[in-house]
Amino acid sequence: MTCREIDGVIGSHSGDSTLSREAAEHVAECESCRRLVKALDTGHTSLEPSESRLRQIQAAIKEDLRPVRPLASSGVFLLAFMLISLAVVAIGSLLLGVNGWNALSTIQRMTIFAALTASVFLLAISVVRQMAPGGKPSISPRLLLLGILAGLILATAVIFQVRHETAFVQDGLACLRTGMTYSMPAALLFWALLSRGAVLYPKLTGAAAGGFAGLIGVSVLEVGCPNLDLYHILVWHLGVILLSAIGGLSLGAAVDHFRRRSIRGHSRF
Amino acid sequence: MQLEAHPSAFPNAEFEQLMARYQQADPGAVAVLVERLSPQLYRFFASQLGNRADAEDMLQDTWMRIHRVRHTYRAGDPVLPWVYTIARRVRVDNYRKRIRISSRETSVDVLPEVPTRNDETSSLPSFEELVAVLPESQREVVTMLKVDGLSLEEIARVTSSTTGAVKQKAHRAYERLRKILERATKGPERTPPPQSASKGVAQ
Repeated sequence: MTCREIDGVIGSHSGDSTLSREAAEHVAECESCRRLVKALDTGHTSLEPSESRLRQIQAAIKEDLRPVRPLASSGVFLLAFMLISLAVVAIGSLLLGVNGWNALSTIQRMTIFAALTASVFLLAISVVRQMAPGGKPSISPRLLLLGILAGLILATAVIFQVRHETAFVQDGLACLRTGMTYSMPAALLFWALLSRGAVLYPKLTGAAAGGFAGLIGVSVLEVGCPNLDLYHILVWHLGVILLSAIGGLSLGAAVDHFRRRSIRGHSRF
Repeated sequence: MQLEAHPSAFPNAEFEQLMARYQQADPGAVAVLVERLSPQLYRFFASQLGNRADAEDMLQDTWMRIHRVRHTYRAGDPVLPWVYTIARRVRVDNYRKRIRISSRETSVDVLPEVPTRNDETSSLPSFEELVAVLPESQREVVTMLKVDGLSLEEIARVTSSTTGAVKQKAHRAYERLRKILERATKGPERTPPPQSASKGVAQ
């Protein structure tokens, strides 16, 4: 047995932790491993919290003890996220019409809507997994959001061309306003769902919920806006994602701030 | 050769049952959970901070948060990763609070609290002294493995990473500790005391 293999044994042992014969033989012979095993097992078990503090904690919890309904499964939340997304896009399409959908070629339609659907689905999974602490590891919503934005920019750059535009800013601002009109209520609904969970990282959760809502806003615009200029889509359509994510981040920061103040108040038993 | 038994030897299924009873407002379950989990959690904080008063405050803060979000525990899920993810968040918040406070204060030259040694005759540094020299992410992994008895899979859940990444961090930490221990036993040079206030906290 090598020292590296001993690292594995030290690292993976738990509970009843008698070393295997092979490992014990190596540790007996190898001074470096013997020192490490001894040093890692020394000292820390003597650390204990005071009895009075434990009694304080128990008393404080018991004082506020009420039955709670456990969080629903991830599948239920995922379904709720998808239903909200579909509902907002459907309402947007009804109110704005489907001129954008009609203006797109089949390849553009397939590419952009496949990319948006996949993005919505992946981000929903990532965000839902953050709701219960210590859940199965998944891609961080922060990385995923950046990846999604990069992917959408790339897909847009590949399938759309630059066209002559007379009112780039004016048309663009109208689209941005429309996108935000649909993404903001979606973001509030997502936040309401997410706040049922632990929300240990409100800023991250806020940014992810905002980005997610931004994707819904972009979907509404892709269905309704017939402007196929590359720069228009890159700046004013995809800008909805960025703006919504920043809005969500700010909301999360505000929630984080107020929550800390409330915890500080509650901590004084 | 026998390694020390871990406090987490308490069966996971029993923790799960206790959590379910806690969610149903059973005061008996609360008492058992606080008694069983607090020493582990306290060591999680104390081993990394080297300051026991702060560790007790963070323990209390952790229980308050656990209580507030107890509904987010899902039956059948492992309890320890759920608890330690919350504890880790408390530690990060506490670290930020310390940074904010220290940025407003002028230096008063307070010496860091040196942890008491279990065996004064030993030439080896104590666990706290030893891990204090590790980078934050490695220190956290070694503490959760050796002090709290979490498995690699459980630590991966707590730190939102993969088992492979946790294994790699532990291996790097052990490599570094071997070198430190070698130096400590050869010469009079001692490892420095914990300097948690000046070190970054992995999020």
